[in-house]
Amino acid sequence: MNNALPPTILIVDDDEGHAILIRENLEAAGLPNTIRHFRDGQAILDFFAQEPLRGSQSFLILLDIRMPKVDGIEVLRRLKSDAELGRLPVIMLTTTDDSREVERCYELGCNVYIQKPVDYDRFAEAIRRLGLFVPLLLVPAVSAR
Amino acid sequence: MRKRNLAPDKNAADSNSVVPTPDDLTPDRRRLETDLFKTVKELRDVKAALDEHSIVAITDAAGRITHVNDKFCAISQYSRDELLGRDHRIINSGHHPRAFFQNLWATITAGQVWHGEIRNRAKDGTCYWVETTIYPFLDEAGAPLQFIAIRTDITKRKANEEELQQVAAELAEKNKELEAIVYTVSHDLRSPLVNVQGFGKQLNRACDAIRTAIAAAGPGPVPAEPLRQPVDVAIPQALRFINAGVHKMEALLAGLLRYSRLGRVALSVRPLNVGGLMEDLVAATRFQLDQARAEVDIGPLPTCQADHVQTGQVFANLLDNALKYRDPARLLRVTIRGEVKGDQAVYTVQDNGVGISAEHQSKIFEIFHRLNPDDTPGEGLGLTIAQRVLERQRGKIWVESRRGEGSTFFVSLPALESRS
Repeated sequence: MNNALPPTILIVDDDEGHAILIRENLEAAGLPNTIRHFRDGQAILDFFAQEPLRGSQSFLILLDIRMPKVDGIEVLRRLKSDAELGRLPVIMLTTTDDSREVERCYELGCNVYIQKPVDYDRFAEAIRRLGLFVPLLLVPAVSAR
Repeated sequence: MRKRNLAPDKNAADSNSVVPTPDDLTPDRRRLETDLFKTVKELRDVKAALDEHSIVAITDAAGRITHVNDKFCAISQYSRDELLGRDHRIINSGHHPRAFFQNLWATITAGQVWHGEIRNRAKDGTCYWVETTIYPFLDEAGAPLQFIAIRTDITKRKANEEELQQVAAELAEKNKELEAIVYTVSHDLRSPLVNVQGFGKQLNRACDAIRTAIAAAGPGPVPAEPLRQPVDVAIPQALRFINAGVHKMEALLAGLLRYSRLGRVALSVRPLNVGGLMEDLVAATRFQLDQARAEVDIGPLPTCQADHVQTGQVFANLLDNALKYRDPARLLRVTIRGEVKGDQAVYTVQDNGVGISAEHQSKIFEIFHRLNPDDTPGEGLGLTIAQRVLERQRGKIWVESRRGEGSTFFVSLPALESRS
């Protein structure tokens, strides 16, 4: 199991500055993961629609909540209602500390909820650890093919 | 204060009752007469007291009025002659559904007492509320012989209740607004702050890199290579996001202030020629309209009662939105129409722009909501302010739209003359 690639980190955030900060700080903390940025909820849903999951590739999603078009809660709901995509670890990343919203995210099955602005050192550490667990979390689908 | 003294009668009755008589039957009969007299007097007193306090009517078993007291005549404005022989439909205000009176009638004809609040209409058309008790007088078999209705005027209490309800509704609306503002402060204002703070740290890091390079060079010339990334990339990028963040926060704060001050601007409601107003607005926007090669068609528009400045801003905002959200695939065409419906003048501003999807239509009036934050400038306040401005003038704004086809914004304001 440990020969799996580190998960590709998918940042979904409509604020370009936030996305750059996350990427640069994760890189500065020495995370080797490939990082990709999506500008809204629709973009990440389109990405998964075009790219079916493969056993060798794993993802970790950093999801902002308030975005135009499809918001983060809707993305989380759709991911978690899909048998395959539902297993991807999701970190909700947002600027609000609205307790109802936090509760909603956990109900829908997000793994961690982190409020921005974040302490990037601790954030990178959290991702590193979660990243280590991801191959364990991502048991490849039992496939008859 | 009126005082009625019936004491002499009472004394007379008492003095009669203590005189003994030889006849065996007479004392019993006398006592009976005396008791009867006392009872009748007591009843008369109770009725007098009732008439002093309440609105009283008596009807026969079929509901025809057989007696009304002075208070009934006073509040209903009908004379006794106009009321006797009629049923209570003469004062029906039409406020209560048919089932309400069916239930009332079923209760009292079954020999039970009915309690409730009724809105009645007086002769001059004004309405009054009465708290009502209807008590059936039954025969030996339990069938109603007649009904007595005792009522208290609660018009004032009802008006207070209504006012209270309205104040509560306004308060709830204010609360919702406040929640939206709190959300904005906690989210929209923090969002640029994340960038200011984060890129501030990046700036520090870039400066550290430069300092390290300078220290390593000692007194000699500083090599260009280690300076290139911080000076060419990191610092300009950090400054760009810091400046953008500060600018965004300033705009949001200014918008919040503008919105919160709205409620305090005094309105001057006068007849407003909306047709003339639209001509002026189109003339003022001529340059932008011509640049977009847009066409504006203004039909005959009714006059309404509104504040000129604030209502002008509402229509200017709608015209501006039509320009902003035009579909690049076709030339913009804005059609402005209006008609009087009941006591409201209803105006429509219709465009053939990009349209708004069904799930976004309810959000467009929310504070700081933006349809296309990246493609169009603005702070997301125009329609929020329009709605607030119109509500203050007893008007409304709503939208009908189809994505890809265009939007129609409806604005209603009190008409100068109503039409049914």
